[in-house]
Amino acid sequence: MAGSGGDGIVSAGESLISAAAAEGYFAILTKSFGSQIRGGESSCRLRVSTRPVLNPGGTLSVAVVLNWEDFLKFGAELPVGANTVVVYETKTGVEPAVIPLGGVTPAVVFAAPMEAMALKAAGTMQAKNSVVLGLLAGWFGLARKSILKGISKKFARKGAAVLEGNERAFAAGLEYAEQHPLSADRQLSPPAPTAGRKLLTDGNDMCGAAALFAGCKFFGGYPITPASEIMQYLGREIWKYGGSLLQAEDEIAGVAAAVGASFAGVKAMTATSGPGLSLKTEVLGLASVAELPLVCVDVQRGGPSTGMPTKAEQADLFAAVFSAHGDTVRPVLAPISVADTFGITVEAFNIAEQYQTPVIVLSDQEIAQRKEIVTPIDTSRFKLIERLKPTEQELDQYTRFRFTESGISPLSHPGMKGGNYLAAGIEHNEQGAPTASGEMHARMNDKRLRKMDPLKQRHDLFVLEGDPDATIGLISWGSVAGVALEALHLARAEGLKARLLVPKLLYPVAEDVYREFFAPLRKCLVIEQSHQGQLYRIIRMWVPVPPEFQVLAKSGSNPISPEEVLEKIRLMARA
Amino acid sequence: MSTECPLSPEVFTAKTFRSNLKPIWCPGCGDYGVVTALYRALAAIKRPPHEIAFISGIGCSSRIPGYTTAYGFNTVHGRALPIAQGIKMANPELLVLVAGGDGDGFSIGGGHVPHAIRRNLDLTYIVMDNQIYGLTKGQLSPTSPRGKKTASTVYGSMEDPVNPLLYVLAYGAGFVAQGVPADMEGLANLLEEAIRYPGFSFVNIQSPCITYGEPDTQLKTQKTRMRKLEAEGHDSSNRLRAMELAQEYGRTLYTGVFYRNPNPPPTYESQIRERQQELNGKDMALEQLLGAKDAENGNLVAG
Repeated sequence: MAGSGGDGIVSAGESLISAAAAEGYFAILTKSFGSQIRGGESSCRLRVSTRPVLNPGGTLSVAVVLNWEDFLKFGAELPVGANTVVVYETKTGVEPAVIPLGGVTPAVVFAAPMEAMALKAAGTMQAKNSVVLGLLAGWFGLARKSILKGISKKFARKGAAVLEGNERAFAAGLEYAEQHPLSADRQLSPPAPTAGRKLLTDGNDMCGAAALFAGCKFFGGYPITPASEIMQYLGREIWKYGGSLLQAEDEIAGVAAAVGASFAGVKAMTATSGPGLSLKTEVLGLASVAELPLVCVDVQRGGPSTGMPTKAEQADLFAAVFSAHGDTVRPVLAPISVADTFGITVEAFNIAEQYQTPVIVLSDQEIAQRKEIVTPIDTSRFKLIERLKPTEQELDQYTRFRFTESGISPLSHPGMKGGNYLAAGIEHNEQGAPTASGEMHARMNDKRLRKMDPLKQRHDLFVLEGDPDATIGLISWGSVAGVALEALHLARAEGLKARLLVPKLLYPVAEDVYREFFAPLRKCLVIEQSHQGQLYRIIRMWVPVPPEFQVLAKSGSNPISPEEVLEKIRLMARA
Repeated sequence: MSTECPLSPEVFTAKTFRSNLKPIWCPGCGDYGVVTALYRALAAIKRPPHEIAFISGIGCSSRIPGYTTAYGFNTVHGRALPIAQGIKMANPELLVLVAGGDGDGFSIGGGHVPHAIRRNLDLTYIVMDNQIYGLTKGQLSPTSPRGKKTASTVYGSMEDPVNPLLYVLAYGAGFVAQGVPADMEGLANLLEEAIRYPGFSFVNIQSPCITYGEPDTQLKTQKTRMRKLEAEGHDSSNRLRAMELAQEYGRTLYTGVFYRNPNPPPTYESQIRERQQELNGKDMALEQLLGAKDAENGNLVAG
């Protein structure tokens, strides 16, 4: 669905996904806007299924156009194909035969007088989106009762007149749909009877919730699209758990305060997007050398610089991995869905605490801001890790940066008697005293790098799907992994053999995991949302790759569809 | 016979707070006097070293935490204040001290000062102001006077200096003082008073650079130049008068308390505690997410 900012398109989408959740469906709702605060074009795409939805999908089944000019601004984000039902506003004055879709002939093209119906039923054009909901419920069998329930809940506080107007508008849409049946039969299947309770949330809220679950007691940050909702969520919640939050004067102060809180002994985090990650880099280095746990979430958007703040991209991988001076290894993790954001965020805290290091979580605008229906989180599979603290005996002669076999040294904090030490960005000896000794610098570098080695054996941070004996491989990460996974299912349904590897641990590069994955492969395709193919290039830095190692890489805001990946798999299988 | 030791309160002397690290400062550097005055102030405050977090940025003076027995954090250039605020927010029980030079506080970190002041966490910010970048070997600093010839301004500086006293007074700091290491007793008292002030306190210390500093800023000259505000009859509860006197920065060497808010407002951390108590356990969205409760509020819907 697309229209102008005031058309209530996003609000209609939210009503639909809430209704779908209430009925027991799975769904993803993606919103897309121009970067204007009010007005301008806005759109949302909803994908509903009786099974878990892996990605927002490719070509649309149904397109609702309130305004052609706005719809067309979204280009490839809202692709119409030969199987699409196109419903549009009569008032646009466009004849069905000449809709401006550049040569595409959709299955059904239907002009409906949505605005006129709203005016007639509710006396205001603002009820247009309720008409749309009625049309969709009528034509496609979408959660009629739950939608109506949602409408009453949403408009109850706006007074009886508004509520009744919207109810009438919804009924008008329903009635219109019944009187004008579409030629194609496109009814949604009923949800699985055992569907159970469902939750509706987005990646940013999920990240905030996971931080609380992990025991995060401090957040320091600065508003930035599309990461602000993490701060907003924690701003509502963290106090209830005995924690606190600082909206700092800038990105640097945000991460600096978080490093301070970690030094003081609590689990701490910051969240940002690309420009903020650039600013935080120096302080992340401080956390690395002072060996302090810290979680830094980077909700990626189009870059460089201001780039495209409201669009997803996966082009901060190089920045996350490499933007540090000196010899530093910072673990980098990436969730693949809203649901997965919970586990990955908890994992980030665990790794940060265990290895006394900053950890970067690379979310992206797609995961962060899309609404997803998920099953309630089963937390029994999560174990929380706390930082290694010095024992009474160790506090007797405390040596903060003691060389140990693992490279991890017990970490005290202010308030702990006997644990007093000097933390510093300056190179130091085992006691924490500043040093300019080359030998000590090398040993400390070795300590700080070596302690991360066990991470490279974390096979559990990789998803492996498909045929073990396949010679065709796929690699994908972050929000695009759901696209690759669906493409894999489609390929296998066609009898094509392929195997998919999804790294959720992007750095350090788990060489053995890739080596094992590559062993039987003849061809491998990396699929990612960056212009250069950043993961593709990072893998090649560390691991010998199969003979034909290719990349399907697109700049942000150029969606990659499952069909497109499927076509690539077909080509690889043929050659 | 009882084996029990008699309960004796811990005894704190200046020595309690002196670490074994040997300062890197040049002989004759004013910072020696600053750290000695601080040891004395801390002995008077009587908090054990492990309950003190001492945070600094980068520069000669920022080495100071390492010369104390407190928990020290020698961080990055200009970010000591936000790091210290994170520490205080995470554990309000700690005594938090922040220190750095004029470059650290009023150039690279200058943007953080107003925000630390307006938040008003109970911490003490000590600036060792020597009007020069010493550690990098003598470049122009934000408090260097106009016309000053330095390694980076060989023909003389073309800009006016920052006035640290006026800067912090303008943003509403509750405690503003200036001291000199030449007056050790006065400085130790000022530091003690600053630490005891319940809120953000600022002490500008004219700490001369023996290597790159001007002759008329050195310790010997300080003794003759300094004018005690108390002796001048200044009423330290008068903020506007304090701002007038602060305009003399760079010309008259006033020492003592410029301003002390007679009615200190609530600190940030006390408000945090209130908010935590008020919201403790209420409508917890995480529990809703985990399925422990039915969600009616916020973003989550029950199916």
